[in-house]
Amino acid sequence: MPKLTINGKEIEVPAGTNLIEAARAAGAEVPHYCYHPGLSIAGQCRLCMVDIDKVPRPQIACNTQVAEGMVVHTETDRVKDTRRSIMEFHLINHPLDCPVCDQAGECWLQIYYMKHGLYDPRMTDEKVHKPKAVPLGPHVILDAERCILCSRCVRFCDEITGTGELGIFQRGDHSEIGLFPGTVLDNNYSGNVIDICPVGALTDRDFRFQVRVWYLDSARSLCNGCARGCNVEIHTSKQRPHHNQGKRIARLKPRFNAEVNQWWLCDIGRYGFRWIDDDSRLTAPAVKTDGQAMETTWDEALAAVAGALGRHRPDEVGVLASPQMSNEDLWALRRLLDGLGVANRDFTVPPREPGEDDKLLLRADRNPNTRGATLLGLGPGPGGLDAGGILDAAAQKKVKCLWVLHHELTASGFAAARVNGALAGAETLIFQGTNAGLTSARASVVLPSAAYAEGDGTFTNFQGRVQRFRPAVTPLGEAQPDWRVFGRLAARVPKLAAAADPALGAERPDQVFAALAAAVPAYAGLTYRSLGDAGQMVKA
Amino acid sequence: MAEKILSKNFDVQGAHTLRGYRDGGGYRGWDKAKGMEPAAITEEVKRSNLRGLGGAGFPTGVKWGFIPKGSTAPKYLVVNADEGEPGTFKDRYILERDPHALIEGMLIAARAIDSRLGFVYIRGEYVQPWRAFSAAVKEAYDAGLLGPSVPGGGFDIVIHRGAGAYICGEETGLISSLEGMKGWPKVKPPFPAVKGAFGQPTIVNNVETLACLPHIVTRGGEWFAGLGTKTQGGTRLYSVSGHVARPGVVEAPVSVTLRQLIYDHCGGIRGGRRLKAVVPGGSSAAILTPDEIDIPMDVDGPKSKGSMIGSAGVIVMDDTVSIPDALMVVARFYAHESCGQCTPCRESTGWIYRMAHRIVEGKGRKEDLDNILDVAKRGAGTTICAFYDGAVGPYISYIEKFREEFEALIRSGAHA
Amino acid sequence: MADPKNPRFTEAQLAEVRRLQGLYPDKRGALLPVLHLAQDTFGYISLEIEAYVGTLFELSPAHVHEVVTFYTMYFQQPRGRHVVAVCHNLSCHLMGAKDIIEHCKTRLGVEPGETTADGKVTLLTVECLCACELAPMMQVDDRYEGLLTTDKVDGILGGLA
Repeated sequence: MPKLTINGKEIEVPAGTNLIEAARAAGAEVPHYCYHPGLSIAGQCRLCMVDIDKVPRPQIACNTQVAEGMVVHTETDRVKDTRRSIMEFHLINHPLDCPVCDQAGECWLQIYYMKHGLYDPRMTDEKVHKPKAVPLGPHVILDAERCILCSRCVRFCDEITGTGELGIFQRGDHSEIGLFPGTVLDNNYSGNVIDICPVGALTDRDFRFQVRVWYLDSARSLCNGCARGCNVEIHTSKQRPHHNQGKRIARLKPRFNAEVNQWWLCDIGRYGFRWIDDDSRLTAPAVKTDGQAMETTWDEALAAVAGALGRHRPDEVGVLASPQMSNEDLWALRRLLDGLGVANRDFTVPPREPGEDDKLLLRADRNPNTRGATLLGLGPGPGGLDAGGILDAAAQKKVKCLWVLHHELTASGFAAARVNGALAGAETLIFQGTNAGLTSARASVVLPSAAYAEGDGTFTNFQGRVQRFRPAVTPLGEAQPDWRVFGRLAARVPKLAAAADPALGAERPDQVFAALAAAVPAYAGLTYRSLGDAGQMVKA
Repeated sequence: MAEKILSKNFDVQGAHTLRGYRDGGGYRGWDKAKGMEPAAITEEVKRSNLRGLGGAGFPTGVKWGFIPKGSTAPKYLVVNADEGEPGTFKDRYILERDPHALIEGMLIAARAIDSRLGFVYIRGEYVQPWRAFSAAVKEAYDAGLLGPSVPGGGFDIVIHRGAGAYICGEETGLISSLEGMKGWPKVKPPFPAVKGAFGQPTIVNNVETLACLPHIVTRGGEWFAGLGTKTQGGTRLYSVSGHVARPGVVEAPVSVTLRQLIYDHCGGIRGGRRLKAVVPGGSSAAILTPDEIDIPMDVDGPKSKGSMIGSAGVIVMDDTVSIPDALMVVARFYAHESCGQCTPCRESTGWIYRMAHRIVEGKGRKEDLDNILDVAKRGAGTTICAFYDGAVGPYISYIEKFREEFEALIRSGAHA
Repeated sequence: MADPKNPRFTEAQLAEVRRLQGLYPDKRGALLPVLHLAQDTFGYISLEIEAYVGTLFELSPAHVHEVVTFYTMYFQQPRGRHVVAVCHNLSCHLMGAKDIIEHCKTRLGVEPGETTADGKVTLLTVECLCACELAPMMQVDDRYEGLLTTDKVDGILGGLA
């Protein structure tokens, strides 16, 4: 590995590293626009100039690889002066419309002007005019006047998705990015061009004008849209609750994870968060009496569930757990069902329309925790029925208490008649989940779940990577995390209460996780702390 | 009058045909080169002090030497016939009137660099030159001079027509265009000799440069070097235009002075007027004043006056010319031809044109001149290719050398 | 003439496309020549032609559009039967290009970039065509015409069919 000196600091980095990354490793930030570590080198913006000893003039750091003994300076007067010039060039034809620009507050023109520009503007001639507010597709809108032609978006569509929708047309200062006339940018990764656009040229139609970015809070989380578990930040509007149309979650942004999603996030995941703040959210427990669902207290609802579980023999109980649930939720449920002796349990409900792998990020399995549900043993217990068997047994009134967690059975791949038979046949239908639907409407007891973004927890992705999500918002209304509900239920079952299972007695999700790590070999040794931001693999 | 070498066929009836070319001694250089080791050809060219005649003036033999030693990859010889530097027209003469000289030069260069495929990139507007050269290539194929029978594994020529973009005269812009893309120059490194056209080692040489090779091989590098100055060998073709009595292509040893070119070779200033200014090397070269023309027109002479020999396109301006008006014309050109790839050039060529245009429209402001100078100086040396540095040559020199004329115009508020 | 809105090369032209593609180590090298062929065939490069040519190269239409809009010689709108392109760069400017351009505008009744109402002539101003010894000069279709005077221009324009 070559050793080199950057700003007087000696570092050693792998051969092939460029000077932007090497400087980063040495704690120095080299400003840049066109360079992106996930894309090819374009060398277009010319901002990343650095001085190198024995080289007569500043060189672009993005296209200069480290060499043994190289001596690099990122903050010489000459470099600073060059940066100031390049900043001025970038802004010659820029409209300077920050007050009405959605990128304001997270715009690299603003940031670098304050850090590296601060020149006195002298361009008073007419600027070049280009198309403004052009929708490129369902998610992306273009303001070509704000564009600095860094070509990141073009390279993304060429190199990452291979779809090639975007180009830079014309030449000179009339160059502009755009689509071939009559086409749209609607590949499943289109939202990423918004993220990598360093300026306000490409903004999010969905997020636009909803809330100023400086009012946003951020939580490190995961996308729950498929089995990959892309790392995301959930951005929430809590400081100005009247903005963002009163919704708490404003947007999802991908968070780098080299092993999972790198810098990217698919559109299905990115825009799949609406359900969390949807009006259909279940916000209070409900119990049906005389065919009429009435909101009630948790105590009464849990009493109703405990009553049903006590009334029916274990083999008359069928539980449909969900790979949408966290490892913590699943493990607490597993302990509860083991304690009750319920073997009729499963988590695999076929989707109505099977998903497809797209060879990039999106997985055919649109559940975030199928691997966790498998490893944690939420499949049928000894002699137990699988999901289809449970439904059929309910229709035949062999399963009398049907407990459905998170599944909207009426929208599943099971035939409508089969689902209807089960829902009609069950004497007690418990629905536990986040959003109301046709299944919850028919339930005799409804338990409102906190959404994953409303608490702490982990998912295990298809690779076997256990990853943490952190609370972005608090549970809506009376909703509770499932693991806690299972604990409270266990407390109502004398046999279980006496067993004092650590997963069911937990006060916090990390305690549930510690319990499962102690019990399930695949998770042995893992803790919330050790998972860190990038997650850890389960034991093979 | 010195011996004509490169232009000896220009006015000979039928010299553009294979037969006519052979009658004048053509293909003897190739016949000799066929018996030479490739390295020996390169050595001969190094000895000749031949410098690239397209604009950059880089030593040709040295450039060939940049191909990685022992590389087994296919290597391409690319001919830059994208003549576009304003004030330059000499390659057109070679393509139309002496096309076999280029083919012969290509065969020699290809042997030196072990290339089996050559591309000739001819600017799209050059329809007649393209036809003339294509006819010559066909003759050469028919005669077995090209194709599989070329010793060393054969040699083919593909003629590629451009489509209208000055930047394609920049060697990596040309390569991008040859590859079927916009003519965006490539970020270097890698340099073309290592990774050029279609990702393979590539040598890009100008038409006139290659046309020198038959003579160098036939008569020796030493002879060629002796024709020129200490740092540059040979004669070259000067394109002289503007306010001279007899504009045209002039062949002269590179030691010829700019004054001799204007007054001896081209009959002086037309209508007996006074010389006001002269651009020595195509529009990208800094302008010179009448007291700066006693310089040899090799790579060093114009450099000594802060200009460059470039493509040796000499544009002569008499005392009727408005320099601010000339700057507007030149600035319009660079704004029009900036490829738009990198920021300093893309953004400032347009701005500088807008300022220059305002000045000649009588709307100049006193800060405009310093702004142009400052912007040009700040942008110089920061771009992907040499285009912007070329634009900076006229921006700075026109204003610095004729500042009073600009200031008077701005003060008066008159149209230029 | 072939329909630029519904472009299809003939079998012979497709064979030529394949021949051109075969000349280059990567067939994309033939994009400019094939666009020239398309313009010769269809008169100009319509969006439909861009998309069609894209299919011949397995290129997205956006990438063909980049190329077509970058170069000055590809016409994106129908042009006149003749194209008169007057150089306005430095040497021609010094030698009176401005007057030649004004004369063309007056005589043809169009601005540069426009085509006469009868569809005969498209007038352009262009950058250096590298025939400065003939300044002022212009290109009329394939031909260079130089040492222009207004009388000479009248003769040239008058001779266009």
